[in-house]
Amino acid sequence: MHNQHFMAKRTLSAHIIRNVLLFCAGLFLVTFSIYYYFTRSTIEETTRENAVFLANNTVNRIEQVLTPAEKVPQTVAKMLESSFLTKDSLFPFLKTILKGDTNIFGSTIAFEPNYFADKGTYFAPYVCRKGDSITSSMLGHANYEYFYMDWYQIPKMTNAPYWSEPYYDEGGGNILMTTYSVPFYTIKGGKRIFSGIVTIDVSLAWLTEIMSSVKILETGYAFLLSRNGVIITHPNKDYVMNESIFTIAKENDQPGMRLIGRAMIKGKSNFEAADFHSKWHSGKLWIIYKGLPSSHWSLAVIYPDNEMFASLYKINIILVLLILVGLSLLSFFTIKIINDLTAPLKHFADSARLIAAGNFDVQLPEIKTEDEMKELYNSFSFMQKELAEYIVTLKDTTAAKEKIESELRIAREIQMSMIPHIFPPFPDLPEVDVYAILKSAKEVGGDLYDFFVIDGNKFCFAIGDVSGKGVPASLFMAVTRTLVRSISDKEFSPAAIVSTLNNSLALNNESSMFVTFFLGVLNLETGELSYCNAGHNPPVIIRKDGSAVMIEKTKFIPVALFEDFQYEELTLQLRHGDKVFLYTDGVTEAENADNKLFGDEKLMEIVRENNAVSPRELINKVEEAVAIHVDGYTQSDDITMMTIFYNE
Amino acid sequence: MKNCIHDFSKTVLLIVFLLSANIIQAQLPKIVFAPQWLPQAQFAGYYVAQEKGFYKDAGIEVEIVHPSANEQATSMLVSGKADVISLFLITALAAKNQGLDVVNIGQISQHSAIMFVAKKSSGIATLSQLNGKKVGIWKSGFDEISKAMIAGQNIKVEWIPILSTVNLFMMDGIDAMAVMKYNEYDQIINSGLNEDELTTFPAASYGCDVPEDGIYCLKSTYENKKPELEKFLQATLKGWEFAANNREYAIDVVLKRMKIAHQPTNRVHQQWMLDNVLDLMKPGNKGVSAGELKKGDFMKASEILGESENIQQKYVFTDFYKPLLK
Repeated sequence: MHNQHFMAKRTLSAHIIRNVLLFCAGLFLVTFSIYYYFTRSTIEETTRENAVFLANNTVNRIEQVLTPAEKVPQTVAKMLESSFLTKDSLFPFLKTILKGDTNIFGSTIAFEPNYFADKGTYFAPYVCRKGDSITSSMLGHANYEYFYMDWYQIPKMTNAPYWSEPYYDEGGGNILMTTYSVPFYTIKGGKRIFSGIVTIDVSLAWLTEIMSSVKILETGYAFLLSRNGVIITHPNKDYVMNESIFTIAKENDQPGMRLIGRAMIKGKSNFEAADFHSKWHSGKLWIIYKGLPSSHWSLAVIYPDNEMFASLYKINIILVLLILVGLSLLSFFTIKIINDLTAPLKHFADSARLIAAGNFDVQLPEIKTEDEMKELYNSFSFMQKELAEYIVTLKDTTAAKEKIESELRIAREIQMSMIPHIFPPFPDLPEVDVYAILKSAKEVGGDLYDFFVIDGNKFCFAIGDVSGKGVPASLFMAVTRTLVRSISDKEFSPAAIVSTLNNSLALNNESSMFVTFFLGVLNLETGELSYCNAGHNPPVIIRKDGSAVMIEKTKFIPVALFEDFQYEELTLQLRHGDKVFLYTDGVTEAENADNKLFGDEKLMEIVRENNAVSPRELINKVEEAVAIHVDGYTQSDDITMMTIFYNE
Repeated sequence: MKNCIHDFSKTVLLIVFLLSANIIQAQLPKIVFAPQWLPQAQFAGYYVAQEKGFYKDAGIEVEIVHPSANEQATSMLVSGKADVISLFLITALAAKNQGLDVVNIGQISQHSAIMFVAKKSSGIATLSQLNGKKVGIWKSGFDEISKAMIAGQNIKVEWIPILSTVNLFMMDGIDAMAVMKYNEYDQIINSGLNEDELTTFPAASYGCDVPEDGIYCLKSTYENKKPELEKFLQATLKGWEFAANNREYAIDVVLKRMKIAHQPTNRVHQQWMLDNVLDLMKPGNKGVSAGELKKGDFMKASEILGESENIQQKYVFTDFYKPLLK
């Protein structure tokens, strides 16, 4: 009992904690998700702004070199078109250019084949730096047909200036170079015709410097692609000028990298989560790329995702720790509060048990708060008081009831003493053997039976059933029995006895009670049985040969209903060895749990089966059969049986 | 003191090494081989044969030298800088027509890798649509097949000689260009154009499936060094077979050679090249055995050359093809 109580309390506590924790965890999850989403978006947006700034800044730094460099050959081309320059002034002119701009490594003015009749196929004055000095030479010979070089052919064919794909200058100390070529035109025979290319060579040593100075986050880096996607600068030196973004994408099977590469070489610009993995830098990456307006190269900066969101991840860990601590504290205090709150409940439970045990003066726990617990205290206190009063009343009632019960018991004893209950009743009367029982449904009953000898040699017997039950019925029964005895002192015929009885009972019968009544008088000498049946169950005649029948019903009404009702009597002849079995409706109407009655047929069946046994045994058999039939179901009516054996 | 001993032992080792190298050189007959272009996977079989020691196992010493911008493989043959070279069949025929007394001693490739490529965006969908267009072609030769293809269409194009890059094509300076599937075509892909953005016209689909790389030497060399040349051919085919079965290894060898030659390189392109070159070596429906040159292919190449150069060939198949493999 104590354990059960303890378990119940623990379950209550756990139940509340679980629900509170689940709710808080859910709330936290939702809040955290929203927080995470918005913070991430904010970081992403801030990084985007910074990245765009960084990319623009870097592109501008590169453009600051490339764009002014473009001006030089463009101006030279215009000068050539306006015939401002003569073929012999070209070398000194080119040297002046190199002296004027330290970013320019070399420069040439390459003419179409046989442009000058006296100069032959090749005419391309070229100057370039060699150490601190500037050297000059003439380009073009059988193994260097410059007309087919990209720097010449592409601007010629496209009629547009062209920044070449970067290349290593094999003669000039393996420096990464690019050439900017501008086509120029002259008027010949009144027609403006293509006449050659002006170029400047720009060393890209500074480019690598600018690019490697782009340091972002911990390990973020920048790289530069040529117009064909070739890697111009990259922290991985092996990639430079060997791989293009497309070969790297293919080698590592990263179609997303190829897509970004295509967007880059088209000069597009974006900041996005990279849809590829890099062998060079593991993990999720972000990329910003932007095209260079002059050379159509493309710059990209890689942002490692984990570094980009490092602050967020750090805060996440702190938040999760805080939440865990918070939830722990919440659990602790919730448990404490619940325990404090429910502590009086335990006392109340103990008090209730003590009260149940009868200790109404038990001390209730002291409640200082004015809350539900106080109400519970008031209810308990009220219950305590009411219970105490109720128990006092109950004691009185019980005492009264016990007194009544005791009186009833005595009444029963008196009632039972009024009917013969010693068997055999007449040891000196061999002609007749009698046995009878009466089992009341309550303490006192309304059934009766009686037998006695009248008029010297006549055996009078009667059985009856008063309407109703309990004390009224028992009193009516007592009156009936007393009247029968007194009447039969003077009257000897059943009809007279019953008629007299009826008149006596009907008189002043305010409560309208009645008795079904059978009275028979057996002449012991002749065996003639005269009888009067006032509405009672027909008795059974069991002949010596074993046949058994119910006495034909005489249609008289029960006694005590109508005064002066004229009862008549019938006779039948008993032979020695015959038996008469009388009973009340408590036998035939005995009910089982299914409300099924015992019934006349079942009674006759039992009687026929036991036609040869003694009166006592016959009654026992019927009693057994009835007991089997009701199977423990509450007896609702008095059961009375009597058997008279007319001896041989 | 310690350093002295170290230096001493190093010197001894060096001397021993040089001596033994001399001894081997003295013992084994030497063949100098020059492929027709700079190091790349097109010649993987030769490098692998050398690297795996197949030549040495066969009993010859092979040195591989490469031509340069100033010196072509044929020139090296003439000058004696190379005993054996690789050449396109049609280039060799042309050289022989011009008086270089070369013979084919083994045919490596059996098919043509030449094709025209155009951007789909240019609207060129058939070969005949190249009529009047600017078409890039190698300035250095190999142009006979391409020109025969165009002639076969009865159209005229403006040929634009190109040295070696695909940049003019990428910049839309030309409408189409002749490419080797194993080389320039992949360079275009590796410059960011997708295959589905390109239209291709392979020579093989236009009746010009002429074999390419073969092994050549001067007729005099053939007559004087038959046993050595036979060993060279056998070891070379073994090298190709090994390369076909160990492609990663073959690529490693090629990349190493390219790095030594200071050539820009990447694995993906060389892988593509090796795979395609090996495909060209398969007999297909020609029914040839390894190293064999079919007379039909010779005749086809002669016909194409005759048409493009408009000259009469002065020699027959047996003058040209001297198979050394049994």
